[in-house]
Amino acid sequence: MLKYLLITGMSLCAFSAYAENVPITGSVQSRCVITTDTPGVYGNPNSYTLTTTAADGGVQPIVRFDVTLADAYYAQITTPTSFDTSPSLSETVTWSGSTSVSAVSDSTNMGSYETNKITFGQTTQYDLTATGSTWFTSTSSAVNGGSKAFPGGTYTASVTALCVAQ
Amino acid sequence: MVPTYPVLEQSYQDGLLVTTLELFNKRKDVEYYEIAVFDNEFKPIPFVSSYSLFKLEYLGRVKFDVYIRAKDKDRAVYVCSRSKIRDQDKTLTSITSMICSKFKRE
Repeated sequence: MLKYLLITGMSLCAFSAYAENVPITGSVQSRCVITTDTPGVYGNPNSYTLTTTAADGGVQPIVRFDVTLADAYYAQITTPTSFDTSPSLSETVTWSGSTSVSAVSDSTNMGSYETNKITFGQTTQYDLTATGSTWFTSTSSAVNGGSKAFPGGTYTASVTALCVAQ
Repeated sequence: MVPTYPVLEQSYQDGLLVTTLELFNKRKDVEYYEIAVFDNEFKPIPFVSSYSLFKLEYLGRVKFDVYIRAKDKDRAVYVCSRSKIRDQDKTLTSITSMICSKFKRE
């Protein structure tokens, strides 16, 4: 009996010692995270124009990039060139848009993002050379051909934010 | 999506390479993400995964394997996740996000 209790006791002690030494490990991996800071809204300054310009009743979309590895990613932001959904349109729509840096978390290392950007068509590319957060603001306008009024209905369009490993 | 530079390794099946990725949803306005594999000109390359469209709650994460043919190894450059917004959730301007990892070359 004594031998049995001794063995049981030793087993419990061993188990306790093991439980106290459970290691906790973790790893942090580099990444790029894109979040929507402000969804955009088109204003209607006249019957044939939709624009995100604040003066015309619109809201400019703002997208945020968080990067935890320097010199690993570039950001490409493309303003809409077509509607995702719309009523049937008989005229050609002319699209315009632009993107700029509106805020950065590290002005010392990210201050040159705006001056170093590359624009091709309605796409703007930034080299994300530093870690931290960057907020990009876009503007978008759609003008219906021949100054004809947009038909009544729901119009949706998308800004595409791309974060690509270099 | 992590890792930033995934490595393609031999899978259990001859002629197929595999890599493991993890997807993380930091967008409250998005529940679905689609994955795809591209070449250096963003032309699609055939791949197989458990799902090509993942439903992911806000702050949720999922691990998944991506298989490509060994003969596509040199063409495959990017593996990307793209946010998908349901029609009824679309606002006047929504934001489509796409994050691309680049396959590590030996």
